[in-house]
Amino acid sequence: MTERRSFGQLAGLEIDPSRPAITMQGVSERFRLYHERPVGLKERLYRMRRASYTEFNALERVSFMVDHGESVAVIGHNGSGKSTLLKLLARILPPDEGRVATNGRVASLLELGAGFHGDLTGRENIYLNGAILGLARSQIDDRFDEIVDFSGIRPLLDTAVRTYSSGLYVRLGFAIAVTVDPDILLVDEVLAVGDAEFQAKSLARMRRFKQDGKTVVLVSHDLDAVTEMCERAILLDRGRVAFDGPVDEAVDRYRQRIARVAGIEVASAGDAIPVAVEDASLVTVGGDPVSEVAASGALALQVRFTAVERLEACNVSMSVADGSDRPIYEFHTRLQGVGVGPLEPGESAMVELRFAAPRRAGQYTVSVTVTDAGETPAWGAVPISSSLQVAPTAVGSDRVDLAASAAVLDGPARSIGDVADILHGGESGPQQGRREA
Amino acid sequence: MATVDGALPDQLIQRSSLRLGERWRARELLVQLVRKELKVRYRNSSLGFLWSMLTPALMTVVFTVIFTLVVPVPVDAFPAFFLAGYLLWQFFQNSCQGAIHSVVGNADLVKKVYFPREVLPLSHVLAQLIHLLLAMLVISPYLIATRGLGVLVYLPATLLAVVLLAVFTSGVAMWLAGVNVVFRDLQELFVVMFLVWFYATPVLYPLALVKSRLGTDHLLVTFLQLNPMTWFVEVFRTPLYGAVQVASSSSDGPITSVPPTLPDLRGLAIAAAWALVVFVGGYIVFLRRARTFAKEV
Repeated sequence: MTERRSFGQLAGLEIDPSRPAITMQGVSERFRLYHERPVGLKERLYRMRRASYTEFNALERVSFMVDHGESVAVIGHNGSGKSTLLKLLARILPPDEGRVATNGRVASLLELGAGFHGDLTGRENIYLNGAILGLARSQIDDRFDEIVDFSGIRPLLDTAVRTYSSGLYVRLGFAIAVTVDPDILLVDEVLAVGDAEFQAKSLARMRRFKQDGKTVVLVSHDLDAVTEMCERAILLDRGRVAFDGPVDEAVDRYRQRIARVAGIEVASAGDAIPVAVEDASLVTVGGDPVSEVAASGALALQVRFTAVERLEACNVSMSVADGSDRPIYEFHTRLQGVGVGPLEPGESAMVELRFAAPRRAGQYTVSVTVTDAGETPAWGAVPISSSLQVAPTAVGSDRVDLAASAAVLDGPARSIGDVADILHGGESGPQQGRREA
Repeated sequence: MATVDGALPDQLIQRSSLRLGERWRARELLVQLVRKELKVRYRNSSLGFLWSMLTPALMTVVFTVIFTLVVPVPVDAFPAFFLAGYLLWQFFQNSCQGAIHSVVGNADLVKKVYFPREVLPLSHVLAQLIHLLLAMLVISPYLIATRGLGVLVYLPATLLAVVLLAVFTSGVAMWLAGVNVVFRDLQELFVVMFLVWFYATPVLYPLALVKSRLGTDHLLVTFLQLNPMTWFVEVFRTPLYGAVQVASSSSDGPITSVPPTLPDLRGLAIAAAWALVVFVGGYIVFLRRARTFAKEV
């Protein structure tokens, strides 16, 4: 097998095991947001003074180290600096302050198929994209069949890629990118693309990287994938490292932050919290545990908590965030005039919050906490989050479910398509047809 | 150990050798980008690669009609004289035109992938170099027929001139590509700038004629001699077409076009100096700018 190298590596210089795989020391990165970007001659002549801009810190004094073979996730809200951090590691951006050092071959999957040219064939693009990622022609020759099989483009190998479907496009991009065979792999959310089968395939590929003792830095919003892939996570908040440690704890803290954003005040970790939330589970109306429901389906959240100190009265709050961590709904029992109390130390209580599942299919996070009964709570327990999958509805779907149905007012009506069986299956009610019908 | 910034002194040597190794490996990417340039450019046109020959051929017809029938330029075999300068100019202009958009036009790539950025402008220069060499091959029978076998004898001198111009062009191309990222008016200025530059370069007329008509101390002659392209055209044309000489006795003396010969060493030295200075200068400007391309494109 020929030696594989990419741009990040000096010829002949292999990993130096005495140093960590990644070192970041006090790294800051500033961006200028120009109020009106002075890129032209007119603007320059117009105002001889410096252009007006706001400087903002995408990263502020970020320091961490990653050992060889470690898998580290970087999580945080949009705009928290995750992608900037990856770009610094990939050397796309130089740090404004501090030091970034990587030890070994670096490959970055920041975008799949970057540099593909639509007019070139799949075969030509494999060589072009491979070269962009730092592969030699001979290395691509060696892995050519593997790339073609992994991406499944063989029948279209000599067709211009502009005719490819977007799924095929990213599949080819991924297949080429993993061929780089790096010591350090940087991945930015690219696993979220493609169909379920391809996602499974690429996750398997990532696991193989891990098993081979490679260092992986993964940026993702998919907290389940993060928990599965990584032992450690770095939580970024507005450009600063808010937490760096075991992935479970990082994910918990991140969920807390989501809950806080949603309007639930949480006491800082140092304060004594007079209540502990023990369990929060999503159940059906019948009381069976559930993690997936139909759109708008009836649900209940059962919260069990125990008083640590004597509690006069407390409130239970719930918030729901969508797959992108955007809060979409919140509820506080005090708004209904419902509270729990008094509770003696050690006494526990259980509250059930009934609600309807979101109408739009997708992944949601339901967080719950217990706070005092005040309008702006002085304390709140550490929230507990559960994930909720809302299944798509059978009839029609898009960003929102408008609950469309059809009725034939004039002319003969008949049943068509695969809903016909359901309609004839003894179910009475208005005749329904697929939206496409 | 790939140190990006704030390196300790003992890492500096390692860092610079890393950069060199990296640039050497980027030749693979350069080759692929040149292939892409050559393939994509004419992919959807029916005449395809012929266009790179047709354009200079049509230009030659137009300029020959004007400058032999309407306003005669007193040189032998005007088409040969013109082509021996125009091919070089076309290489220079097309390279720069491609290069100026090369970073801005590949914003997605620059923002998402790390690679030595200079391959973007350089790929345009190399693709045009291949066009130039092919065009030279195509017109060589005509040149040999009109200017004699000296065209072949002095071929190494012609190729040396091409190499010098390619080095010079690379410097200009990198400068344009790098500066255009922060100063987008450059691409608009380009059209005017290069039109003026074309007429300020002795492609349509021999430098010797201007010298004899205006005298060697004339401001315009000085200006022409400050133009680096003048020297590249002279150095390229002498072994390919020959030199144009004006009898020194009077300003209206007889004009003779001698067959291909070796370019004079002074012209060669000036061309080489320009090539070196502009290449190094353009490269330094480009590398400085390249650090922040990902933020600016």
